Order: sequence, then structure tokens, then C-alpha cells
Amino acid sequence: MQRIWIVVLSVWAMLAIVAVLAWSSRPAAPLPSTSAQTVVVKGPGGKQRLVVLKAPTHATTATSAAVRP
Amino acid sequence: MSALCRTEWRAVGTACAAAVTADSPDETHVRAALAAAQHEVAACERELSRFDPASDLSRVNAAGGRWTHVGRRLLEALRLAVSAREATSGRFDPTVLPALAAAGYDRSFELLEERPAVAAAGWRAGAAIELDERYGRARLEPGAAVDLGGIGKGYAAGRALDAMLDASPDLAGGLVDLGGDIAVWGESPEGGPWLIAVADPRHPGQTLAVLALEDGGVATSGRDARRFGPGRSLHHLIDPETGESALAGPLTVTVVAPDPAAAEVHATTVAIAGVGEAEAYIAERPPLSALYVPQTGPPIPLGELSLATQRLVVRAA
Repeated sequence: MQRIWIVVLSVWAMLAIVAVLAWSSRPAAPLPSTSAQTVVVKGPGGKQRLVVLKAPTHATTATSAAVRP
Repeated sequence: MSALCRTEWRAVGTACAAAVTADSPDETHVRAALAAAQHEVAACERELSRFDPASDLSRVNAAGGRWTHVGRRLLEALRLAVSAREATSGRFDPTVLPALAAAGYDRSFELLEERPAVAAAGWRAGAAIELDERYGRARLEPGAAVDLGGIGKGYAAGRALDAMLDASPDLAGGLVDLGGDIAVWGESPEGGPWLIAVADPRHPGQTLAVLALEDGGVATSGRDARRFGPGRSLHHLIDPETGESALAGPLTVTVVAPDPAAAEVHATTVAIAGVGEAEAYIAERPPLSALYVPQTGPPIPLGELSLATQRLVVRAA
């Protein structure tokens, strides 16, 4: 009888551990795309570039604006 | 840590900048590199500008179909433009100038006067451009005229970057920015890639995204700027199929490519494409990535570009 209880408790403990692990590794819910501020770029060699969030930038790309002389 | 050594000036009708990664801005080779970039952009403008009546391009446009001796930069830019027209099945066409001028964009943008568009009489897309590489000459089909506005700044940015590296081969990195058409190479002063902000066309002064690049080109094209005509109802993006300002297309599109001339060509092309067409276009050309900002709705990443969530940023760091 004691062995049966040990088996039952072990199975429950294992199930509890699996449940905790599954919960803790849930994928992050994606943010709405309108709030995303960052971009991942892969270059010609397939190498993944850095992901940046609100870092100082070196230049800005935009539709080129005319500048008065 | 290295420093960002940067110079700014006005050329090609817009704001320009060149920057290098160096230990000190006073170093001779840094000054030589930045001066080389400015010199190269000026040389490109002398050959490629359609607003300078003395430029090589203006002389070709005014030659009435006769052979004209031109500089090597214009010859190369025309060759790239012809190749781009073939590669895009005519969606990029450097011979839209008569249609663009008829629409009202017939002089440098800051000098435009408001007037109604008129029809471009007799204009058709795909006019012949002949190049004689051996004798350095070019000629157009009679009645045709070329505008390199969809490739010229990108081409000049690439050449200016090459000129910097030729002047100072030991540079760790460099950047040339011609009104948002950008060429980068090597390391930024922080030791990583160059960080390029993508301006948010709906919220002036704000950044929509940040690109990180070590080598290549970035360009943005759109209808959020350079509008003209009655009520600013027209824009400079001419659809070669209609000869008029394109109706379909995003508010802006930013393209990342292996070189800045290609980035500008493909940005110009995708800027007159609906989202489905743009998606297929970028998917067919694996080196390209794009950030497509539709006229309404959230931005759409295309190709190898993906919008990342804040959580992903933390993990990637």
C-alpha cells in the first residue's frame, strides 16, 4: 500500500513540475505592431543585425526634403 | 572609444552629411576623407543634375537625340538606371522626366510655382538610352529626357563613401547621408553597426524604427514630401504606366539593399506599388528588406525585416 502512495505522489509531483515549466516558458504576447519601435535586419550574408530600442542614431532616412539655398 | 567625426553641407538640393569613425577629428586622414566625400558629391552633381543647365545630363537631354560626350559618373549612372529599368520590368523608368515636368515639377523644388498639371504630349515610357562606353558618349531617343532623381543621390552616396575609403584606407567605418539616402561601411564609433533612424512620416520629428547596418545602403521614398501643384495634390512619384503621379502606393517606404543606388531604385519602385505587389516584389529579391508605411494602418515589414517587440529586444541583447 505504501508503494502505491509513493507512486501516486511521484506522478503528481512530476505533473506539477511539468505544469510550472510550461507556464514559465510561455511565449511572450506580441505587442501591437503600432507600438513596436525596433527592427531586426539580416544582411546579405544572412547575419542577423543588432536589435535596438531607443538608442542614439547616426543618421535618419526619410523622403528627401528640399532645402532652400 | 572612437569618436564620430562628422561634417554637414548642402548639395544635390538637400542636406548632406558625411561621418567617419576615428580617434580624433583633427587627424589629417579624417579631414581628407570628409573632404573627399564632399568633392565626390559635387562631382556627381555636376554630371547628374537635371536642374543645372550646364550638367552633363542637361546637355544630353537637350541634344535632341545626338551623341554627347559625358563624364564617367553619368555614364555609369545611366548604365545602372537602364539595368534597373530592365530588372523592374519598367516600373522604374528614368525617362519619366517629360511627364514629371508636365505635372509641374519642372525646376528645382524650392523654386516651383503653383500651376495646374498639363498632359505630357507624345510622351511614352521606355524611351531608348544608348551608351557608348568606348568613347564616353550617351544619346537619347529624340524627344526623350532623363531624370536620375530615383537613383542619383543613392549613386552619389555610394561613390562618396568609396571616395572616403580611397582617401583614408585605414578608416574603421564611414557613413554618407544625402537627404536620407544613406551609405554605410564598417563600424560605428560605438564599435557596432551604424544606427539609422527611420523617420515616422505621420509624426514629424519622431522615429518609427531603427535599422542597424554594417555595410550597405538605405533609402526612403514617399509622397509625404515634395508635393506640389494645386493644393499640393501632386507628388514626384510618376507611374510609368500612366505618366501621372501614382495613385497606388504607401505613404513612405524604406528599403535596405547591398548598395545605396539599389536601395533608392527599389524604394522608388515600391513607392508606387500597393502592399500586395510590394510584398511580392521584395520577396523575389532576397537581398532587399523594406519597411512599408501604408497611407493608413500600421507599418509593414517586408523581406528580412521584422518588427520586434520590446520583449524580443531584451532577449536579443
